[in-house]
Amino acid sequence: MSATSPNDIAISIRNITQRFGEEGAPDSVLALDDVSLDIRKGEFVCLLGPSGCGKSTILNIVGGLFRPTSGTTLVEGRSVEGTPHTDQIAFVFQESTLFPWYTVIENFRIAMKFRGMAASEWDDRAMKALKAVGMASFARHYPDQLSVGMRQRVNMARGICVETPILLMDEPFAALDEQTRMVLGEDLSQLLAATGKTIVFVTHSLAEAVFLSDRIAVMTARPGKIKTIIDVNEAHPRSPDFMLEPRFSELRNQCYALLRDEIRATMAAQRDPAGVEA
Amino acid sequence: MSTASSTLGSSGAATSRRAFHLRMILIVGIVAALEFYGRFVADATLFSPPSKIVQSFFTDIMGDARIVRALWICIVEIAVAYVLSIVFGVTTGLLVGATPFTRRAFFPVVIALYVIPQVSFLPLTILLFGLGPAAKIAFGFSHAIFPIIINVVSGMRTVRELHLNAARSMGASRLDTIRHVVLPHMVPSLFTGLRLGMTLNLLGVILAELYVSNSGVGFFTRLFAEDFNPGPLFALIGSLAIIAIAFNEIVRIAERRLTPGAHRKTIIKTAGKEKQ
Repeated sequence: MSATSPNDIAISIRNITQRFGEEGAPDSVLALDDVSLDIRKGEFVCLLGPSGCGKSTILNIVGGLFRPTSGTTLVEGRSVEGTPHTDQIAFVFQESTLFPWYTVIENFRIAMKFRGMAASEWDDRAMKALKAVGMASFARHYPDQLSVGMRQRVNMARGICVETPILLMDEPFAALDEQTRMVLGEDLSQLLAATGKTIVFVTHSLAEAVFLSDRIAVMTARPGKIKTIIDVNEAHPRSPDFMLEPRFSELRNQCYALLRDEIRATMAAQRDPAGVEA
Repeated sequence: MSTASSTLGSSGAATSRRAFHLRMILIVGIVAALEFYGRFVADATLFSPPSKIVQSFFTDIMGDARIVRALWICIVEIAVAYVLSIVFGVTTGLLVGATPFTRRAFFPVVIALYVIPQVSFLPLTILLFGLGPAAKIAFGFSHAIFPIIINVVSGMRTVRELHLNAARSMGASRLDTIRHVVLPHMVPSLFTGLRLGMTLNLLGVILAELYVSNSGVGFFTRLFAEDFNPGPLFALIGSLAIIAIAFNEIVRIAERRLTPGAHRKTIIKTAGKEKQ
């Protein structure tokens, strides 16, 4: 992290603080407290932390869905001021963000229409992305006609089709069973190797974080800060064999040890919210 | 999933065929019982067996140009009241549901008006709109509009945050979001409103017809009732029932055809890779 020039930085998060509600108000919540993080181009960074630690909040700020209370975010050198940089960033949320009233192909078209892309490109790009995830023959299906795993393939492809350099993924696999998660994780690792995209990935899953990341940013309980950054030195695309290596378990255990106290703190806060906020 | 469906019946087609047979047996049974009651038990001045009612439908109802015209007017009243309530109901619903602020301000008023039993206003409606079709249309309209408004508003309210966020992350404008997220999301709820609206519209129009009428269906039902002539009376009431069922069917078919993504029949249960 130290020896990088500014040109290699895709996303630069500087001193972000996020408070929901007026400061001093009884329902005011400090979600993020002075978070800074630089993400290099082509890097896969996982934000790992207990529920409610502000992982998704970071992603939403980077994605321009809202403006932080204080601090700045630069995406490819340009500052994000609460408006999505749709030419550089695509979001992938859980599979249920596919619009159920549109077919698969219509979901792609609408995503590109919203971005103001030329209508002549829509179908070509959509089919290319669908082929990449092996879902080309389901273009005319409605999302409800597909299994959860298939829907998430389509949803990932919808994020890929716009060919932005940066992909923000907010717990995209949270609703999937473990096997499907693993398979899609492999797909994602291949995609990363093939396209050189920068990916920021929010997850609860330790195994997922270690398997996918170049770096894991382990966060504290609320108010969220970055506790430690763990490097995972393993080239993409990663094979499932990586999970069998002793190093994989070591990293996973290391993450767990770091998280355990934070999870206990979160649970204590849930039991007695007043005590922690005070 | 497969175990659940197998306990319900071996196959969907066979089950629905058996259900159809059972339904037919029930209907034939009821008609036969009424026939028996009408022929051998009931007072002929108060009740007619179904066979006589059908006969009377073709002679007394279809054979009398005034009654055919009255039924036709009734159909027009129902249609006009319904179209008006859709136009004004949907527009009002969209305005009330547009923002949380407008919803807070106006929705309680809509709810309050909806729960008032409108029958108490029927005499007033007649006074205001006279004995002709206008009063029936007004009464059908005032019944149908409320469920339409309420369901449009609640359809807009239940838009998922997830979909709004996704649209925003793709750079959708406010107008884009309404056109491609809020409105399509609202469609199933809109149709719930339209179905309820039709039920109440029929109630309103027919209620007003029966209450007072100088040449409409209500006039003739009163005439036949006062003459102790149950055959044409039941035939006329049956005609109204058929009209009501036909209107409801139109709404149901429209719902099936127009709800986006409604034809979802082939659900793929296993996707090779993940279920192994």
